[in-house]
Amino acid sequence: MKIIIVGAGEVGYHIASRLAVENKDVVVIDRNPEALRRFADNVDVQVIPGSGSSPQILEEAGIREAEILLAVTDSDEANLVACLMAHILSPTTKKLARIRDAAYDKFHDTFRENAPHIDTIINPEIEVVKTIDMLLSAPGAVEVGEFADGRVKFVGIQIDPDSRVAGVKLVNLREKTGTIRPLIAAVVRDEELIIPRGKDRLLAGDLVYLICEDSKLIETLAVFDKRAEPLRRAMIIGGGRIGLRLATLLHERGVSTKIVEKSADHCTRLAEELDGVVVLCGDGSDQSLLAEENIQGMDVFLALTDDEETNILASLLAKRLGARKTITKISKFSYFALMPAIGIELVVSPRLSAINTILQHIRRGKILSAIAIKGERAEVMEAVALETSDIVGKPLKSIHFPNRALVIAVIRDENVIIPSGESVIAPGDRIIIFAERTAIPKIEKILAVKLEYF
Amino acid sequence: MRWRCILQVVSILIFILGLTMVFPLLWGLYYGDNGVTPIIHSMALTILVSGGSILLLRGPQTEFISQREGMAIVAVGWTAVGFFGCLPFHLSGEFGPFVNAYFESISGFTTTGSSILTDVQAISKSLLFWRSFIQWLGGMGIIVLSLAILPILGVGGMQLYKAEVPSPVPDKLQPRIRETARILWKVYVLFTVAQVVLLVLGGMGIFDALNHALTTMPTGGFSTKNASMAHFDSVYLDFVVAFFMLLAGINFSLHYQLLKGDTLAFWRNAECRFFLAATVVLTLVVTLNIYGTVYDKIGDAFRYGAFQLVSILTTTGYATADYEQWPAMSQLILLLCMFLGGSAGSTAGGMKCLRIMVCFKYCYKELFTLIHPHAVSRIKIDGRSVPDDVVRSVLGFLALYLGLFAFSSVLLAGLGVDFITAFAAVATTIGNVGPGFGMVGPVENFAAIPVLGKWLLIWCMLLGRLEIYTVIILLVPEFWRK
Repeated sequence: MKIIIVGAGEVGYHIASRLAVENKDVVVIDRNPEALRRFADNVDVQVIPGSGSSPQILEEAGIREAEILLAVTDSDEANLVACLMAHILSPTTKKLARIRDAAYDKFHDTFRENAPHIDTIINPEIEVVKTIDMLLSAPGAVEVGEFADGRVKFVGIQIDPDSRVAGVKLVNLREKTGTIRPLIAAVVRDEELIIPRGKDRLLAGDLVYLICEDSKLIETLAVFDKRAEPLRRAMIIGGGRIGLRLATLLHERGVSTKIVEKSADHCTRLAEELDGVVVLCGDGSDQSLLAEENIQGMDVFLALTDDEETNILASLLAKRLGARKTITKISKFSYFALMPAIGIELVVSPRLSAINTILQHIRRGKILSAIAIKGERAEVMEAVALETSDIVGKPLKSIHFPNRALVIAVIRDENVIIPSGESVIAPGDRIIIFAERTAIPKIEKILAVKLEYF
Repeated sequence: MRWRCILQVVSILIFILGLTMVFPLLWGLYYGDNGVTPIIHSMALTILVSGGSILLLRGPQTEFISQREGMAIVAVGWTAVGFFGCLPFHLSGEFGPFVNAYFESISGFTTTGSSILTDVQAISKSLLFWRSFIQWLGGMGIIVLSLAILPILGVGGMQLYKAEVPSPVPDKLQPRIRETARILWKVYVLFTVAQVVLLVLGGMGIFDALNHALTTMPTGGFSTKNASMAHFDSVYLDFVVAFFMLLAGINFSLHYQLLKGDTLAFWRNAECRFFLAATVVLTLVVTLNIYGTVYDKIGDAFRYGAFQLVSILTTTGYATADYEQWPAMSQLILLLCMFLGGSAGSTAGGMKCLRIMVCFKYCYKELFTLIHPHAVSRIKIDGRSVPDDVVRSVLGFLALYLGLFAFSSVLLAGLGVDFITAFAAVATTIGNVGPGFGMVGPVENFAAIPVLGKWLLIWCMLLGRLEIYTVIILLVPEFWRK
């Protein structure tokens, strides 16, 4: 499978390094030789210096054999032109483009139906707002994803020391939880990813990933002592595109929202676009401003400026001043591991959101969606079990499944089933699979239609 | 530096080497010669030691190899592979003291082709085959071979590849390093097989044909005859061998493009044009120079002149004539060819045409700037601008190459070797050529070099094959600091 990536930025880098590990043929095009060097040195991909919107360069990269073209440069225009050229040269190639300008929002469908026929448009800002929305609706969750069109949620939560499940073996979990049996997919303990068995215990400080139906989400989280609290007041720092989108959304939900922005010009624009949202001109890390605007009464504080260090400090300050919950936008992946240690609870990243969306489209077979977790070490995938694939018609235990992978749930009609070794998957079932990075190629093979190999 | 991971990869390389010893063993059994016992012993020892250390060092699979570790793996790997490769020679007793066996082995792996054997034809056939075979392995590179056949080196492969196949501008033919390595080996095997067929058609015995093909494609130059190619004395064979030497001196990615149907691939590549033009011009000069002075017939002058020039320029090192009897001008041209070498990305040694071209263009740019002090100009190869750091690394390479050459030849002369020999022996080993001048000329060998001198030349051969940086960096204290 050949994939061409135009744009050697962060998103390009992370997608490329993941796909290269999965033995896919990746070609990266960028104008900047410096950026390409980072790829050539660290990732097993081919690099081509040049403009991704040049037909000649695209030919050189082998666009005709490519299954997917991914245009993720910083410029919307360059991405559009790259897709247009790719469409002219090779109409069968699937095209994904990252487009950020809100001016294009209404035209996403137009781009899909008419030239350049972009199959998927990824707007990281929309994705990140969606992620924030999901985080706000799942109390206590540090990571949230959804499957089966939102019917099933995938949630990561931290076990508190005083939680009643701390120290409990998984087999005994039910005694504590009553009728609800939470489905635990993975546990992250001391930076180590564990696929827990029945005799394993949950410990305080563990990051637990679980799957549950959307309708039972609140009850399930309550089992882990994560209680829902009403969201009435929110404060947003940073009036960029994400801040604006989120403020609009929150206001529509009836949340009383304040937005703080440094630049006076930006504030004027925000004030013009937003009705009923309090626009404040000032520094988000200014203690007196926060105190003056009733920070201690805020249900959620969102630091969404473009400067991640400011975001981190503003969140810490807000937490100290009494904000109930903080959400921090961070772009640098290397910071993620530090966040729990310094007391930042919820982190969102436009890049990670974009990567997740892109992955869903790259996965082969009938994989519907995929979510990367824990610094991309593992993925949770949702797939449709096809009639002719290896996975249907026999008990799970007799399927040759890779070591570090697990079927964690089966969705048949409206029911979510937790499979055992004896369970048989029927054609048309949706299955949710948890897999470490190295096991993904094998999983894809199992899910793929057998005919493909003839 | 994670030594466990470094030694683990090295053990895997040695294990593969051990397995390949089965080929000379088969020849030994076929001829029933004296090589069988030493080869069986070496094979057992190699497989046991490497297999044992693979088991001993096993642990979590390493996903990432740093550039530094890659260099350490290649440098340690080549030294160790040279050691295990020399076991059959040493255990047979036919090669004299250990240093001779090790010299022969490193000369093989580095595709130099310098020999310490006085009477090649007296050596067991199976050992001669092993000698040619290690040259063939070393030509395309034992790590490139491992990358092509083993999945385990997948992720760290890039760093290893860069350390073993250093090139000013690395070619990656395919998105994945493994596919690139496979393509290179396929082209390599294809050419070798073609050459065997053509040599057999020319009347060479299958054993000799195989041996010579195995040492032509890596531009090695080990022969199974005392008189090298002169033994066969056939115009046809001379031209077949010269043709394949020339092919081996051209960038293998161009061969790949040619085989894929791009007929103009050679012509479009500036380095290839430079290399072929240098071959043609220098051949004509040498031919005219030796016509009348050494050879009476123009045909003979061309036959010997062309063969010898291609042999030295591609750093193969076969001989059909004793060029030490030639006029001084021809001798000097051959000596300078040892420095020039073939194309980057080929199996040839030397400084490589590409680097010389960059250097020339840099000099011209300097002159140009003197005339137009405000001019902005870029060094271009094939119409593409060469990045400044590549230019710097090329100039640094040339300086190091010449500096190490000067230093080593002075050392060798200090060990009691005469002026011409010391100069030529170092030039020929660092350029991975084979024969030199004086005591180590085309009809002599390296047996008479003092023991310390042999170790010095072994070091030079490794420097030349791994293109200086990978080897010399081990001597830099900073490399070892944590």
